[in-house]
Amino acid sequence: MKKLLKSLLVPAAIAAATVTGPVLAEGYPERPISVMVSYGAGGATDFQARIVTMVAGNEDQIGQPIVIINKPGAGGRVGWNWFATEAENDGYTLGAYNVPHFIAQSINGGVKYSTEEFEPIANWGSDPAVVVVGKDSPYNTINELLDFAKENPGKLTLSGAGLLVGHHIAALQIEKAIESKLAYIPTKGGGAAAMKAVIAGDVIGGINNLSDAFRASEAGSVKILAVADIQRNEEFLPDVPTLMEAGYDVDNSSVNFRGIMAPKGTPPEVIDMLAEKVPAMFENARIAKQMKAGGSPMKIMNRDEVLQMWSERQAYLTELLADLK
Amino acid sequence: MEFLQYFGGVFEPMAFLLLVGGTIGGLILGATPGLSPTMAVALLIPFTFQLTPVHGLILLGAAYTSTVAGGAVSAILLKIPGAPANIATALDGFEMAKKGEGAKALHVSFLASGIGGVIGVLLLIFLTPVLAEWALAFGPSHLFWMAILGVTVIGSLDSKSFVKGLLSGCIGLWLSMIGYDDIQGAERFIFHDALTGGIHIIAALIGIFAIPQVIEMFSKGRQSADVQVVTIQKQSFADSLKILFARKKALCIGTVTGSIIGLIPGVGGQIAGLLAYDQAKKFSADRDTFGTGNPTGVIAAESANNAMVGPSLVPLLTLSIPGSPTAAVLLGGLLIHGIFPGPDLFTNHPQVAWTFINSMLIGQILMVIFGLYIAGYAARVARIPPAIMAAAVLVLAVFGSYSVQQSMGDVYVMVSLGIGMYFLEKSGFSAAPLVLGLILGPIAEANFIQGSMIANATDGATQYFLTGTLNLFLIVLVILSIGYSFWSSRSSKVAS
Amino acid sequence: MSTRLQQHIIPATLVLGLALTVAVLSFTREPAESFLFPRLISVVMLLLAIWNFLRAILGLAKVGTGVSAATFKTIAPGVLVMVVYCFYAAKTLGFYVAGTTAFFVLYSWYDAHSHKALSSWVRRIVVTAVFMAVIYGLFSLLLKVQTPRGMFL
Repeated sequence: MKKLLKSLLVPAAIAAATVTGPVLAEGYPERPISVMVSYGAGGATDFQARIVTMVAGNEDQIGQPIVIINKPGAGGRVGWNWFATEAENDGYTLGAYNVPHFIAQSINGGVKYSTEEFEPIANWGSDPAVVVVGKDSPYNTINELLDFAKENPGKLTLSGAGLLVGHHIAALQIEKAIESKLAYIPTKGGGAAAMKAVIAGDVIGGINNLSDAFRASEAGSVKILAVADIQRNEEFLPDVPTLMEAGYDVDNSSVNFRGIMAPKGTPPEVIDMLAEKVPAMFENARIAKQMKAGGSPMKIMNRDEVLQMWSERQAYLTELLADLK
Repeated sequence: MEFLQYFGGVFEPMAFLLLVGGTIGGLILGATPGLSPTMAVALLIPFTFQLTPVHGLILLGAAYTSTVAGGAVSAILLKIPGAPANIATALDGFEMAKKGEGAKALHVSFLASGIGGVIGVLLLIFLTPVLAEWALAFGPSHLFWMAILGVTVIGSLDSKSFVKGLLSGCIGLWLSMIGYDDIQGAERFIFHDALTGGIHIIAALIGIFAIPQVIEMFSKGRQSADVQVVTIQKQSFADSLKILFARKKALCIGTVTGSIIGLIPGVGGQIAGLLAYDQAKKFSADRDTFGTGNPTGVIAAESANNAMVGPSLVPLLTLSIPGSPTAAVLLGGLLIHGIFPGPDLFTNHPQVAWTFINSMLIGQILMVIFGLYIAGYAARVARIPPAIMAAAVLVLAVFGSYSVQQSMGDVYVMVSLGIGMYFLEKSGFSAAPLVLGLILGPIAEANFIQGSMIANATDGATQYFLTGTLNLFLIVLVILSIGYSFWSSRSSKVAS
Repeated sequence: MSTRLQQHIIPATLVLGLALTVAVLSFTREPAESFLFPRLISVVMLLLAIWNFLRAILGLAKVGTGVSAATFKTIAPGVLVMVVYCFYAAKTLGFYVAGTTAFFVLYSWYDAHSHKALSSWVRRIVVTAVFMAVIYGLFSLLLKVQTPRGMFL
């Protein structure tokens, strides 16, 4: 009798396990989840990732803590290469994306990732690029600064976080708009080192994250001349014009979108579960408070919105970078 | 004297408890091979979510201070520096331990750390506005010359063979070029996927120092259980103080070098210890005994790497520029609590800023007290038989190198470099110049490339790199350093 | 001669080979701007390696003891365990299982105590268990480092 019962039950159990996928997701997550950040500890992406994931361990959120791991190097290429090729797709290894950085790098080639390799979960923030100059700089408006660049091609030194990151994209767009050359100086130490170069007067100006530039201008060490976005940032910089308003044809393509993604091949039910829970987690009041305190603009987008944003950026950047070659 | 008002905050029960806990925890984490100060601070950030900003910062500050000093414990007892800052400590510290003077080395190391550290924090308290100007004076061309100055030390760091010392340095410089080129993004010397991210300095440090020690312990074979890794003689505290104050010159050189290097953003404390060690050696009458267990070397190195802690926070607190990887992590910790560092930090959040700085001052003193206490236990560590020690260090090395970036590739790099280094050392090459090359390579290259790009847009490379007071001053130092190396290698040949 | 060969000439030849490889790679790869520094260093490295090689051939090299055959035999089992542990077992078996095994095997192999007495085997097991418990507490519980789980843990 027992034997008969067993022979009936075992195939049924196997069938149940294979057909009803969510069974697998029900246990998930049973241990802490790690999120890979491809920039160094202490950078804008890193500390924002730490803030937006800090309530993950609560029972009403994901129910397991999220641990940040940093894999910095070569403008993010090192981390994303690792994420595309080596990260386990069991739902316990997630990553942070930076758009347009990884898309621009994948179009330029020489890396092992593209939008095809990653599954977005949700977006938490958007950090526009801004143009800054040192506090003692003779330039007080973006027009004065860029007029200098028009008259002296290749002489306006502007620091930025690296090649093919948002800052570089903004520089390329400005070059296209003013039909002249800039001297874009990528730095090894990311946005912080680029900002140091501006404050210390190593360069004439710089392109940097709004959040970092806002802090530096509050500290009185830089002047912010323009925002590379389609509208002004009312929350932090209501008086700074957009490049568009100043008469340059530069849109929001360089805005740095940050969010969470999973590697290709992660079980769909895990992705669905995260795509539902993660944006809800970002809405948490405590996170909003800490992000505002840190000077970081939030922009919460769900998985479908991110998928659409990725494909738009992919199309635009392919065109922009093709022009350059 | 505004800071005196806020001393009370440090001694509130909760704050003081965190300070003591952070100091002891930091010493232990620092002494664990593979856990660098940067990592220890990064790993502690999640704990600060639950704390008030003041308490969170006290914890981070205490951990930063004490991990730097804790790294000396494993450097002295096992020849495994806990962080790049402690490499120079191992050069003489381990030789002292081999002679049975491990406790003496630990005593002078903690005392020198404490004195250097307190002076560093006092500089931070009193001279911040002046020093901030200084920190900004160093642009790409100056940092390039600083790195070259570091490279010139390579030849004299290895007292055994001039050629092999330089060659070790070149191997280190080459290893630092592996991986994606940071500025252009081109692939360089990537023979295996584990190398795409380049060679992480901490993984390399563990491999290059710990693995040869493990193999060295293997080579002893199955010896009787009484054979100890090192013996430790009893050491009186008063005698240690006497040794320290008989070497005031080394203490001064260490503290001054450490404070200056700490201040310069982008060089960081990694080379402070090595440069101070080299300077102390050059200015010492008994320079031939360096590397054979001379306490002067330990004093110079340790006073330098703790003196660097205070000044390294100057650019961070006044200009919001993190000058070192650890300062970058601290910046993240501040921002999470909504505190923006900047000139008005001390007017907007005096409570937070001053309590943090005061706690570092008290933390330095606590660090010395607990450090000396730990030194007493070091004798027990040394009584562990080689078989257990070898197995334990290997397992710790694997866990430590993996945890740096949670990457298996770092473990492969660590063990490959380690086995290679064992055979290189047996052929007369040395580890310290190799690691120095590994640290300086990226600093020299990135600043050279960045400098050239700026130079191309302005007055040209000659003008940019070769004019200006600071450039000329550094170039003179480079020439003096090279000239000295040649002169001393010649005169020592004549002597022999 | 044979000691000089293994003590100086073989290492010098290997280092020369490395320097040559680096130089060839540096000068044949593109883009040139990215290889500017490697080229500079590889030239210096090659010159130094040639100098070092000549010193070894001429018998001028004095520093370095080499690794004797007896030492090599003693370290070989340990190095083998190390290589298998790091390159294979840690990822396949899981970090904790592989670490425990490696610790136990190395400790037992190089332990001076009797390999017949039961008491010394009990001690080995206890020491291994205590050490791994400390490692687990430090890395997994305190620092929350996620290690590869492999087949086991």
